[in-house]
Amino acid sequence: MSTSRGHELPTVTPFFADKQDLLARILSRYPDYGRRSAVMPLLWEVQRAERHVSRARVDEIAEILGLHATEVKGVMSFYSTYHEHPVGAYHLQVCRTLSCSLAGADELAAFLEEELDLVNGETDAEGRFSLQFVECLGSCGTAPVLQVNDSYFERVSRSRCRALLDAMRRDALPAPTVERGGDNEVVRVEGADRSATGEAGEGDRA
Amino acid sequence: MRVKVNDRELELAPGTSVIDAVFAAGYDVPYFCSQAYMSPIGACRMCLARIGAPRKDRDGNWLVDDATGEPKVFFFPTMMATCTTVVMEGMVVDTLSKEVKDAQRGMVEFTLINHPLDCPVCDKGGACELQDRAYEYGTGRSRFVFDKRHQEKHHPLSELITLDRERCIHCKRCVRYFEEVPGDEVLDFIERGGHTYIGTLEEGLPSNFTGNITDICPVGALLDATSRFRGRNWEYDHTFTTSLDDASGSAIVIDARTGRIERIKSGINPEVNKSWIDDGIRFGHEYAGDPERLRRPLLRRGDAFEEASWDEAAAFISERLGGLSGKDVGIAIRADATLEEGVAARALAELIGTGQVDHAPRHGPSLVPVHGATLQDLATATAVIVLGDVTEELPALDLRIKDALKGVSPPPLFAHGVPIADLRLKERMPRARERLTVVAPYRVGLMQHAGRPVVVPVGGEAAWLQAMTDVANGTDPDEGALGMGRAEAQGLVRQWREASKAVMVVGGFVLASAKATDAAAALAKAVGASQLLVPPMANGRGLEITQVLPSHARYDYRGMLAGSAKALLLSGLDPARDPATAARLGACELLVVHDLFLTDTAKLAHVVLPGKSGYEKDGTTVSLEGRFLPVRAAPVDNGEAEDLTGVVKVLGEAFGKRLEGRSVRSARRVLRKELGFDPAELDRLGLLHDLPRRRSGVSVGPRQEATGAALRVPTMVRPEYLARNPRLRAALGDLALRLHPADAAGHDLHDGDEVRVPVDGAPWRLRIVLSEAVPRGVCLVPATPDAPVGRAHVALEQVVHERRALEVA
Ligand code: SF4
Ligand code: FES
Ligand code: FES
Repeated sequence: MSTSRGHELPTVTPFFADKQDLLARILSRYPDYGRRSAVMPLLWEVQRAERHVSRARVDEIAEILGLHATEVKGVMSFYSTYHEHPVGAYHLQVCRTLSCSLAGADELAAFLEEELDLVNGETDAEGRFSLQFVECLGSCGTAPVLQVNDSYFERVSRSRCRALLDAMRRDALPAPTVERGGDNEVVRVEGADRSATGEAGEGDRA
Repeated sequence: MRVKVNDRELELAPGTSVIDAVFAAGYDVPYFCSQAYMSPIGACRMCLARIGAPRKDRDGNWLVDDATGEPKVFFFPTMMATCTTVVMEGMVVDTLSKEVKDAQRGMVEFTLINHPLDCPVCDKGGACELQDRAYEYGTGRSRFVFDKRHQEKHHPLSELITLDRERCIHCKRCVRYFEEVPGDEVLDFIERGGHTYIGTLEEGLPSNFTGNITDICPVGALLDATSRFRGRNWEYDHTFTTSLDDASGSAIVIDARTGRIERIKSGINPEVNKSWIDDGIRFGHEYAGDPERLRRPLLRRGDAFEEASWDEAAAFISERLGGLSGKDVGIAIRADATLEEGVAARALAELIGTGQVDHAPRHGPSLVPVHGATLQDLATATAVIVLGDVTEELPALDLRIKDALKGVSPPPLFAHGVPIADLRLKERMPRARERLTVVAPYRVGLMQHAGRPVVVPVGGEAAWLQAMTDVANGTDPDEGALGMGRAEAQGLVRQWREASKAVMVVGGFVLASAKATDAAAALAKAVGASQLLVPPMANGRGLEITQVLPSHARYDYRGMLAGSAKALLLSGLDPARDPATAARLGACELLVVHDLFLTDTAKLAHVVLPGKSGYEKDGTTVSLEGRFLPVRAAPVDNGEAEDLTGVVKVLGEAFGKRLEGRSVRSARRVLRKELGFDPAELDRLGLLHDLPRRRSGVSVGPRQEATGAALRVPTMVRPEYLARNPRLRAALGDLALRLHPADAAGHDLHDGDEVRVPVDGAPWRLRIVLSEAVPRGVCLVPATPDAPVGRAHVALEQVVHERRALEVA
């Protein structure tokens, strides 16, 4: 009979309500028939600002793009970048694919689980750490790799990992290691002194 | 294109997919993700074959095999998915070699890795594509010793569909179906890789066409909740018949077991419903098995009924009739009766000597358009004008209109049917929305897909049509009635006129008014559109052309009820909801009711005769496009129920007469003479047979058109049976009174309230649904066979609350 959407509209303030310029800019990148393509950048804006994409935001994005919420959810769930629940201030992603696994990623994962008292997918009560196991991060030559938020830390040994955790507990995350050159160069960390922690070198051994 | 499949050479049209080439050559290749009428996507990799083709050198000459002097065939380095590969000149396809068999075996094994193999408890078992393919092409042994993926096994996607996520093989048929066929993208893959599952955020899958995914799922992942665990596939009797739920003529398959209908699946009729049916047709069958169904005739004894034999009932009726003048007797049948029942009604009227015979519901105007269109015309039209809410009134039209927007003409037909992989179809095809204009008195679902939605005032169709006709004829239109600027109207008219094929679909809101119907015909003529007129019930057009009509307008159904008949035989009709009518019926000298249940009207009757549902009849029906289609009886235990031919048989016998129409066979003898062909010989696809517009052109309609600011609107479900269709009712909710939230506030009405309210003076119990789609000042109530689509008076000021919705703070 009636095919009206079955749920109440969100009562929270729309995310893009005060960001109309941004919204217009994002939408202007796509032709009208490809409006749905804006789903990725919109999700990303929300994820970055709120560290998760809530159901209300999914509905909002669907509304903006003229889609069903299901489609937005389909895209969102495909990528490990987007989260249903807020992730901690430090989102630790441990690669466990072949190269990293051979180089000790499973031990690293076990260490983190123990140390943080978290299992895969969990966030601690404080909201400081989230732990997630992911697949290949494309940095196999410097395995094992730990991604913290958007930065890579390479060849993460147990002691190095412990040092990193301590630093994060003090909210003093060091600049990411840049061993391989290439991709990591584009990750600009504000005010980071690369030579301080980076093990400089060609390192293109992949 | 010359193609060689194994040892057989054949000539195929360019654009054919290799999988269709293989089937056309009479070979088989397994497949899961391809599905007729949907885009091929090459997801399952099951249809692998070795494919080769000759190549040309730079100068355009074939590279030749030195040994044979023939063009040399170069094989692709890997196996190819035949569904997404197009045939090429000189192509060679190998589906039989060991390499191919190994590849297919590998794919079966791979597909089964995470499949739970719970066939013994699966409803699909015995009719499962995966089971069959695993049996034909698999190894029969698994090497997978690890834990399988575990996921939810009983996930209710809606009240009507249950999903088993472990069984899903991720063919994506269901997901693609929603996007490509009804265009409601309410289902999607969630997560990815080995974790992928089917899911939705849309509560209850809001679409009128959800059930089709249970037909196309190649495994037992998506199941019809009405038939879950009710039987195994090999136990069902399959009856291939035509749905009498609406006038689409949709092919259905009724699966019955031990005398009960357990489920309905879509049948295949490429020119009518293709392989899709709406949820009303699919899930609306539970009433037929309701324990309250009448199984034997009932005779009134004082205030109570007593069971009687048919002969006793017939003797009683003939005796009472004997004391009456024949012309005082009225006979009315519901408009989903078969042609054979219509013949029986006519024969009985003739025997009694009355002109008071009619079918209802029936609009005044004829249902045979001057320039009729077919459903194929609609699906290939380049301009479509829809007047009304077809998604509810006749949902099959909705899907055919969406075909027209895609602009893919009907697919070629192979010996194995329509293409398995029609390479013209793509995911997310652009839709030519500008082709579609939808005109209705409230926002209807189809307007989302229309280039030009027009919301007219209640009863404003005639004025709009007249104004558009004026625009078309270059005369001065009533600009206020256009609902758009004059320039835009001119643009629309030009577009319709210039379209290579324009079709106008005329729904009940227009047909309820003779003036609006004439205006629609005039506009269609002015822009060169052909018409499809939507009958209020399944066989309206058939009963009209076979003249189950009163001899005079004042003897129509309304006239009979208003007092022109002293004795009445009502088949399937229940007018007693209206108190005034009920009082008159109570005073009738003889009231015979032929129905499935003890309805309000039956309770007033002297004799109640047990009737058959549309699933239990043999006969013929005529769809809205004028297609004659066979109706076949499913083996259902219905006691002594009879259709109208059975009623006429015993009544005739009581009068000592052998009437024409005393059986389906004898009625068909009559029909054969009138129609010029034998309805017994119709095949499942039916016959488009244009009868001359004989008397049918004459309007024998209601003399007074309804008024009122409210509307009785069509619903996909049959409101008269909704209470006895528990699943459908749970999914769609009780019958609704829909109105604008701002109007509701003034009457203290809230979404979900249950109220009693008079509609045209008759009491109704309805659920309040607030919707911005309804214009202010209008309320929408469901139409029933006894109160068809059209205008009505709803006395909102007399609303009585039965139950208030829980207030959410
Ligand atoms: S639920 Fe069925 S139709 Fe849908 S993807 Fe899974 S197997 Fe295919
Ligand atoms: S395997 Fe860990 S980054 Fe590739
Ligand atoms: S890949 Fe699925 S049918 Fe061809």
